[in-house]
Amino acid sequence: MGDPILLIDRIGVRFGDFQALSDLSLSVEPHAIHSLIGPNGAGKTTLFNALTGVRRPTSGIVLFDGRDVTRIAAHTRVHYGMSRSFQVTALFAELTVEENLRLAVQARYSREGWVFWRSPARRTDIAEEVHQLAAEVGLAERSTARVEDLSHGGQRSLEIGMALAGRPKMVFLDEPLAGMGIDDVHRTKELIRSLRSRMAVLLIEHNMGVVLDISDRITVMAAGRKIAEGSPAEIRQDPIVRSAYLGSAA
Amino acid sequence: MEARMFPNATTFVVLVLLLGLPFVVPTTLAIQIAAFALGTLSVSVLLGGVGLLSFGQGLYLGVGAYGAGILLRDFQLGLLPSLAAAAVLGGFVACAVGSLIVRRQGVYFVMLTLAFAQMGYFAMLAFKRFTGGENGLTGVPRLLSLFGYAIDDARTMYCLAAGIFFCVFLLTQRLLASPFGSVLASIKQNEARSEALGYAVGLYKTAAFAFAGAIAGLAGGLHVLSLGFVSPNNIELEMSQRLLVMGIIGGVSSPAGALAGAIFYEAVAETLSLIWPRWLALIALLLVAIVLFVPGGLWSLGARLTDLARRRKHG
Amino acid sequence: MSIQLLIFQILNGIGIGMIYFLLSAGLTLIFGLMRFVNFTHGALYLLAAYVAFALTRSGISFWIALLLAPLTTTFVAIVIERLILRHTYRMAHEAQILITFATALFIQEMVILAFGPLGQNVSVPPQLSGVVFLGPYVYPVYRLAVVGVAAVVALLVWLLIERTKTGSILRAGSEKAEMVGLLGINVDLVFMATFALGGALAGLAGVLAAPLRGVDPFMSAEALGIAFVVVVVGGLGTLSGALVGGLLIGLVQSVMSSVWPEGAQFMIYASMALVLLLRPAGLLGRN
Repeated sequence: MGDPILLIDRIGVRFGDFQALSDLSLSVEPHAIHSLIGPNGAGKTTLFNALTGVRRPTSGIVLFDGRDVTRIAAHTRVHYGMSRSFQVTALFAELTVEENLRLAVQARYSREGWVFWRSPARRTDIAEEVHQLAAEVGLAERSTARVEDLSHGGQRSLEIGMALAGRPKMVFLDEPLAGMGIDDVHRTKELIRSLRSRMAVLLIEHNMGVVLDISDRITVMAAGRKIAEGSPAEIRQDPIVRSAYLGSAA
Repeated sequence: MEARMFPNATTFVVLVLLLGLPFVVPTTLAIQIAAFALGTLSVSVLLGGVGLLSFGQGLYLGVGAYGAGILLRDFQLGLLPSLAAAAVLGGFVACAVGSLIVRRQGVYFVMLTLAFAQMGYFAMLAFKRFTGGENGLTGVPRLLSLFGYAIDDARTMYCLAAGIFFCVFLLTQRLLASPFGSVLASIKQNEARSEALGYAVGLYKTAAFAFAGAIAGLAGGLHVLSLGFVSPNNIELEMSQRLLVMGIIGGVSSPAGALAGAIFYEAVAETLSLIWPRWLALIALLLVAIVLFVPGGLWSLGARLTDLARRRKHG
Repeated sequence: MSIQLLIFQILNGIGIGMIYFLLSAGLTLIFGLMRFVNFTHGALYLLAAYVAFALTRSGISFWIALLLAPLTTTFVAIVIERLILRHTYRMAHEAQILITFATALFIQEMVILAFGPLGQNVSVPPQLSGVVFLGPYVYPVYRLAVVGVAAVVALLVWLLIERTKTGSILRAGSEKAEMVGLLGINVDLVFMATFALGGALAGLAGVLAAPLRGVDPFMSAEALGIAFVVVVVGGLGTLSGALVGGLLIGLVQSVMSSVWPEGAQFMIYASMALVLLLRPAGLLGRN
């Protein structure tokens, strides 16, 4: 149990008069799966946006891998090892699965994106990585399909693949299982579980069965604040959480 | 639209068009078409390649034209160095402007491109000691040579213009079909996602903007060479608008649309202007029709028709 | 520069500045509400100026023109919005811009068709010609009248936007257009009303400017450029930004026309570049 890879200290985000996040602190260990749960509007995605650099927090500090990244640009954070998937599928709709993944892998090689005198296909190492990634998220057979033609579950899988392509130290997954069929859910659950050996995971999910099964630690949010935190067993028994959120799902 | 290929059928079609043009239209018109096609290419690269709509490419064309004109006339610079200087000037100014404006959200950015174009025009008027103001820049030498060949008649001038256009066209195709081009395409389709993958979106957009500015500057230089003087029209807002109109009509999803648009516009201008002086009103209506019904412009129409013909033949 | 000249130019600057404010107020409201750049804005300014020209040329009083021109542009704005723009709201920004640009181009060509391509003069109404004495100095009555009219209209618009229910809907809409729809308010109607207001203001600017600078078919593009500069300098989406920006730009233009006449227009745009560099949100802009 060394230093946490992610340390959030009293983060606050304010939109005009509306305080979306207040005084939120959290830490994630380097090889842990940490889940964020809470009702809609609790501020989970806002927290993700603050952590990944999409929205600057109005107060508080974000430390990643020992570095203060609170004000660092989103694209630079990716090169420090932070990577995310989106709640609303944000893929390059007119391109194929392969091309999407290649863009994600290519971004890691910072100079490759500036090469303008030859075709991307010349980099066989990148192509190889793309194949591996596609297989890992179950899209090996559909790698030449256009994103528009994929099923919803396929698109969500590609979302995860894109996040993994950067070989991050920590991945932020925003409702990866949303709208997936039962087989996809099972496969994705095992995939996320397997990520633990390579990286830390911060996961927003509504599927309580999966959350309680694979998480090392769970943070419960409501109205922009943390209302409870602990192991799955502790959370399952917490009376505040039970009344506010879990209901009969636990 | 999948990732682009280079070279492809389009390359060949453009080559054929360029070779055949002087046999179909008067050579002086062909020269103008080639120069305008180059200017329009700067619009297409930005809109088709990155999704940036620029109402101000005329600024960089003008900068290139005036720059080349002054260098040719007052510093006796040769043909190639002047053209190179025109491109560099256009690219440099575009880089400066781009770095100020590319981070603005979509429509604000468009507004700013227009404002900077106006700024360039008024700068030209303000510094009329150097630019000649409303009278333009006159006295640019016309007897030029390229590696010993004299460029002194319409035929050789067209070879120069078309040759330059084709080289830049090839470079553009290569660039759009490269890793750099794929990043630009990703920015066009989903800028937030591109940034989230780790691409420094602002830098890429500025680079693309500078490249487009260099192309426009080169087009300006070509204009000066072919006309022997710089008209203030080269930097007026109307030039920016003309390049944009040609780009949209020709279609921006392929760089070849720039040539198609220039041919169409100049041909229409030559013929219609004799019949009805307000032919621009018809162009305006055509523009609306294209935006609504054929967003890919003439080039996409051509592609669709050849697709149909090929299917008929095999089907 | 003598004191007389300085005062003269400052007053001129305020006068032009108020016209620029009227011109930009409509643009900033429309942009703030609908997030799109309305290229026909300049064309409405153009139309109003030519209506004033056509009416005064036929001997009709300028006062009638002052009333009719903004009414005409309001009407045209509504027609354009209903007939063309309404169909573009769901389109990509680029498509919207291109369509409004094409519309503006068409209007410009029609104006040239009707009135020819050359610039024309519009005379100041006789009741407002002549000078007024400000202490030991003289100043044209018309220019003071422009300031007066524009100030009154500015106040009225401000009251409308800041103090009435309609205004608060417009303001709410400029923050979050979907919200307004969810509140059960007819978003369509709000858009149309905003356009109409913008068109009226642009029209008023056009008719007021006509005696000062004459009319020519290319004033629409010029007006658009200036309106953009004012919005950038003052800050997007706020009326006060349009006022501050307009006055500032008007002053720059006026003072420069004595100090460096050929560079006056250029300095307007250079000011914009400076603001962009130092304060990108505009002087009164918020993020």
